[in-house]
Amino acid sequence: MANLAQLNLRSKGDEGMLRALLEDLIEHFKSVYPSPPLHFPLALAVWFSKNPQSPEQSILALFEGTGKDGFVELKNLSLLWKTGRSEPPFANVYSTSVEYFARVLVQEPETLKNYIDNSEVLFFDKKFLPKPVLDAFGILTEPAGLLKGWYVSAFDYEKENTTGRLLSSRGNIRPEVGLVKTQESDDFEHCRGLLHVEVSQRWLPLSPGGITSYSYYSDFRNDQPGYFIFEGGSLYKILKFEVKTEPNYATLVLEAPRDGRYPEVYLRAVHPHLSA
Amino acid sequence: MADTLKYTCEQCIHICQPDLSFVPPELFRNADIIRRDLAELVSAASGEREKSVTILAGCAFESILYTFILAQANFISARRGTFQFNSGAALDNFVSIFNKWFIAVLPEAAIPEVVVRYRDLVHINREIAYPADICSRAAREMLALLNNLLRNLSQFTP
Repeated sequence: MANLAQLNLRSKGDEGMLRALLEDLIEHFKSVYPSPPLHFPLALAVWFSKNPQSPEQSILALFEGTGKDGFVELKNLSLLWKTGRSEPPFANVYSTSVEYFARVLVQEPETLKNYIDNSEVLFFDKKFLPKPVLDAFGILTEPAGLLKGWYVSAFDYEKENTTGRLLSSRGNIRPEVGLVKTQESDDFEHCRGLLHVEVSQRWLPLSPGGITSYSYYSDFRNDQPGYFIFEGGSLYKILKFEVKTEPNYATLVLEAPRDGRYPEVYLRAVHPHLSA
Repeated sequence: MADTLKYTCEQCIHICQPDLSFVPPELFRNADIIRRDLAELVSAASGEREKSVTILAGCAFESILYTFILAQANFISARRGTFQFNSGAALDNFVSIFNKWFIAVLPEAAIPEVVVRYRDLVHINREIAYPADICSRAAREMLALLNNLLRNLSQFTP
């Protein structure tokens, strides 16, 4: 109970309010360069050198596509700007391009230490951020070992019956399903795993209830064959689904379901060019 | 029978008989619009109109999230410190706000990104990038996802 008594809820509340004000400012940054030819979307906003008690806060903002080197500094922006007041808390904003930041991160990482230490990511758009930047700020968007791919209905499988055709017809669309394998046979012909979907830029495991919304499950329940093709070209046929409680799987996913229950899919590798 | 759009829609009881108790009385016009959109969605599904169902379901997602977030602005504000509803936001913004603030209380209601992608099939350049049967799949998945959202919202208590 001693720890509970030491909680400073007032200070936590003040930090929450400050975070909300900073997020409102960042929301405004998203529309600074909204459309061509000055279409430079905000890719990352970080609250760094965090000190909620200070009258001045620091924000790093990375924009995509500006092509500019170096940092532009905006000092003393009042976080009460919406009310027309110019009083604390203030924000000092340091902005640059994703490309420049990523390059310096590789070449001279120590010069960026100040932006990374004691920081909190307030906004990110992962499609604009290279992996070193995501890693530097500890932004986790997918679990280790995630395969990303697409569902292939029996109709598509019959029509595009080579791996190349199946892959090329999906080359322009983002992956819609993820798989984290939980077991694989020694000959790599059979495996089973946890299916994932993308929710707010993060790949999360499907729940037993959530999986019922998707075609691969409803087709299976209607006794129609279904397949998954993953980036790189591995193609699997769906054999069955099983819902199970498996606490150990919590280590394989970004967010474990509260009840620890997962729908696990059983798959068999198929080789269309051999069976055709 | 089981794979017709009509049959799929008939299984979605929260679309066919929506419980809009999450809409406060003062937003009665929003409720009317949502009811009308859902009725048109059911009609399109009965006629096996896959593209219409996909687009109308996306429209219903936007109307419902717009209304729900507007109605729950105080709920968000109480947790965030401050919150100003932006009526001009796009569907992906509403999805993002919903997933950020309501998944803790409605864990089964998480809205996947595929909802926005399917709604964007309204643009020919988006649809043409997908395999030919995409509207067939998208229509069925959008119905199930929308039904799930409505089911969860009917159970929501702030």
